[in-house]
Amino acid sequence: MRGVLAPLAVFAVLFGVLPAGLSAAGSGYLFRLADVTLIFCILSLSMQLITGVAGLLTLGHAAFYGIGAYTAAILSTRLGFDAGLTIPASGLVSALFGVLIALPTMRLVSIYFAVATLGLGEMIYVTLLNWVSFTRGPLGIGDIPPLRPFGFDLSSPLGTYLLIAALAALALLVVHRVAHSYYGNTLRALREDDQCADAMGLPVVRLKIETFAIATFLAGIAGALWAHTTGYVNPADFRFAESILILAMVVVGGLGSIPGAIVGAALLILLPEALRAIGRVRILAVGLIMFLCILFLPKGLFGEVTALDLVRRQFGAAWRGSPTDRPLGWR
Amino acid sequence: MALLEIDRVTRRFGGLVAVDDVSGAIAEGELVGLIGPNGAGKTTLFNVICGFTPPSSGEVRFAGEPITGLRPWRICRRGIGRTFQNLRLFPNMTVFDNVSVGAVGRLGIGPFESLLRTRAARDRAADVSARTWQALERTGLAPYAHLLAADLPYGRRKYLEIARALATGPRLLVLDEPAAGLNETETAELARFIRTLHAEGLTILLVEHDMSLVMGICQRVMVLASGRKIADAPPSVVQQDPLVLEAYLGTEEVA
Repeated sequence: MRGVLAPLAVFAVLFGVLPAGLSAAGSGYLFRLADVTLIFCILSLSMQLITGVAGLLTLGHAAFYGIGAYTAAILSTRLGFDAGLTIPASGLVSALFGVLIALPTMRLVSIYFAVATLGLGEMIYVTLLNWVSFTRGPLGIGDIPPLRPFGFDLSSPLGTYLLIAALAALALLVVHRVAHSYYGNTLRALREDDQCADAMGLPVVRLKIETFAIATFLAGIAGALWAHTTGYVNPADFRFAESILILAMVVVGGLGSIPGAIVGAALLILLPEALRAIGRVRILAVGLIMFLCILFLPKGLFGEVTALDLVRRQFGAAWRGSPTDRPLGWR
Repeated sequence: MALLEIDRVTRRFGGLVAVDDVSGAIAEGELVGLIGPNGAGKTTLFNVICGFTPPSSGEVRFAGEPITGLRPWRICRRGIGRTFQNLRLFPNMTVFDNVSVGAVGRLGIGPFESLLRTRAARDRAADVSARTWQALERTGLAPYAHLLAADLPYGRRKYLEIARALATGPRLLVLDEPAAGLNETETAELARFIRTLHAEGLTILLVEHDMSLVMGICQRVMVLASGRKIADAPPSVVQQDPLVLEAYLGTEEVA
């Protein structure tokens, strides 16, 4: 990503080639596919920051995506806010929850943190599902207005695409600058050995909370975009399986790699669509491709760390604790 | 005035007293060794100094200020740089990036300045680069800067640990068994290097299991045995100390 060529190429594809091609095809379906891909790019980029760069295995990322989506849905349907306000508000509310959840959990090591995020993610899902008076529960919230930020009507397929593309580009810039800087080096140090990073003068807990805040902010924005472009949100869209899908994007693309997050998101959104022709077994085929990816490309497509290495360290650390509390010997 | 003062530090783990009422001081510019047989409490005392283990009682002061109970990163920023006995590098990062972490640890950094690339952020990044290169040059690692730490030859990894600690800009450098796993030639090279650092004005505490390195270069040696300090004197004196000999060789017991 050094130099000006790569940003120019990203810019040209995102705002030139893609919208021109999509407009020429004139297909609402293709526009929608591009929108969804870009929304998931934002999600995978944000999770890349937490898991790939800072090394925190989170299993509840979809919950922050859901908080963003519901914030946008409720603000726009009940209070009549337009997307110019709901999008930043979704990011902020999601980041607020991110920090609240990070404060107690960031002191947990590795696998315990993963389990805590899994539990909290499910709690948020169950809340969305059961707080019927506020979220309408399993019925979901419908009639969410399309994107009309500050009165500009971007509800056309092209307008919607361009706004999503602009926000995805912004998310890319944010994650790129955070990850590819000395600040990013400190996050990578946390991933490699956070105790040692502590000894080198890094405020470990604060760095983790900051990372979590930035990433959940971006996930919240992705949620708002989903709500406004789908027009309908339902708790089932933000379940554990969705977190795993985002994690799979990050792992297949390569832990720690920004192009990896983008390619992973594109692959896992577009592949099932491209395989529609083979009917019901397509999900199996996607699973198989993911499996082969991990088997033959242990670092994913572009990764800095092997996924197995991260998982091994996450689990290995669970046994690192002191065995002094249990009686000696085994029965 | 002493740079580091250890004041009646005790650390218990359950019923085990790992460090028992140890006091000592290191003056600015000294090169002091801390030795003792296995299980003497060296590592525990080390961890108390660096903030990894709070003491059960007693106080540690650095440059006159108490640092007891501070988090390791705060102690590092006060000016105590450390290395790890069993090499804790950041394996998936380059040698340069490893060392840069130490430099950032000293200077501090926030996400928003990196995000906005403010003038201050760019100045700080330049400062971090300069410190990193300086530490790499000092340890002779500059030619390896682009390698992943995991690909560095074993002997060089020790120097990477030291370079990273130097980049934190320490007033006191604490080395935890730097000679472990090195052969005689490598140990001699390391001894020369530690002497050079000391000659450049750095205060150094060398924690070692092996007597030879410490006796060769240190001005003063503290000896721990079973958690207690049993000697604190120049190497020539310590070598003759019957208590020290007993701790290392064992008492003559009736078979």
